[in-house]
Amino acid sequence: MATWHGGTRRVWRSALFAAAGLAVVTVASAAAADVLGVIAARHAHFKEIGKAAKAMSEQLKSPTPEIPVVQAAVKQIDALAPQLPSWFPAGSGPAPGVKTEAKADIWTKPDEFKRDAAAFAEAAHKLDVIAAGGDVSAIRTQAQAMGQTCKTCHEAFRQRDD
Amino acid sequence: MTDEDAVRRPGRGFVVKIWDAPTRWVHGLIIALIGLAWWTESHDQMDWHIRIGCALLGVVLFRLAWGFFGGATARFSSFVRGPGAVLRYAAKLARGGVAEEGVGHNPMGGWSVVALLGVMAAEIGVGLFCVDVDGLESGPLADRVSFQAGRAAAHWHTVLFNALLALIALHLCAIAFYGIVRKDNLIGPMLTGRKRLAGRNGDATGASPSRGSGVMFWVSAAVAAGVAVWASLGFKI
Repeated sequence: MATWHGGTRRVWRSALFAAAGLAVVTVASAAAADVLGVIAARHAHFKEIGKAAKAMSEQLKSPTPEIPVVQAAVKQIDALAPQLPSWFPAGSGPAPGVKTEAKADIWTKPDEFKRDAAAFAEAAHKLDVIAAGGDVSAIRTQAQAMGQTCKTCHEAFRQRDD
Repeated sequence: MTDEDAVRRPGRGFVVKIWDAPTRWVHGLIIALIGLAWWTESHDQMDWHIRIGCALLGVVLFRLAWGFFGGATARFSSFVRGPGAVLRYAAKLARGGVAEEGVGHNPMGGWSVVALLGVMAAEIGVGLFCVDVDGLESGPLADRVSFQAGRAAAHWHTVLFNALLALIALHLCAIAFYGIVRKDNLIGPMLTGRKRLAGRNGDATGASPSRGSGVMFWVSAAVAAGVAVWASLGFKI
């Protein structure tokens, strides 16, 4: 009977391991789904900014820009810009099976990343204020300054994909 | 007789004019403009990159027109051959057969030209719609499409550029192969237009290939330049 007991114990032990394994897999995949959700939301936010920036710069390239279009686009960028650091929670960086252009440096050099993000938010807000004034040449100058903050941060913290 | 006609020198074969001036200029401009487009893109000079792309559009359009109105060796009808001719030529090349005495593109080279022009046309066409990741730099037609579509265009612009680089590498390998293995210098004639033929086979009659239409040269050049400038303005009136 000892063998039977041992056998039973072994079965229970196996079942316990299986349950624990399943729990680990479930938690891990839930976490993975969470990360993918975070990244999808991040991409959606950046696409909103890109869309608004495209609408703005198309107007500013024209000799006769439609100021209300520029103002609406700039207001949208100004609203989104301060949120940017919150789109990069810990654990949402590059990992196998995760499609992101975010470089690991975002989390290893958080001060520099926050400084670049703050420069963007500041430039976007300044642009919003200037756009409200309606002076096209002043808007063009500040739009370029803001664009430079995009580039600075992207060069340091974004993996080029195109 | 002008220097463009064949000159027969006993024992030295023929000198034949095989590439007309517009074909050679197009070739040189394409090399220079692709180099500049590459440099400006990698040095963040997007305004210039776009201007150069539009200039390249004009050059490629002119070459397509010259494929119908140009000199004999520039015409598509003279060098776009069927699969049979390509396979026969490839087999002959593999056997190490006698160097071709024909003038103009061989059946394999003809398709290389078609592929290069096709990929360049696609690359430039897609380039007109590109938007950069910041939504700030964009091709002259990008205002016709969404940010997302412009980003997709930028992705394809990169894919096509890599395809173009692969074709250029193949082109250079072929030139090296003919130069080293076949002792057939392809670079000289592309610079001077002239090639010396030994006159060993019947193809080399000593007559230079016919020249293109002078009127159509100017018409093609004017239309191509016009389209290039208009494209840079986003095809707006």
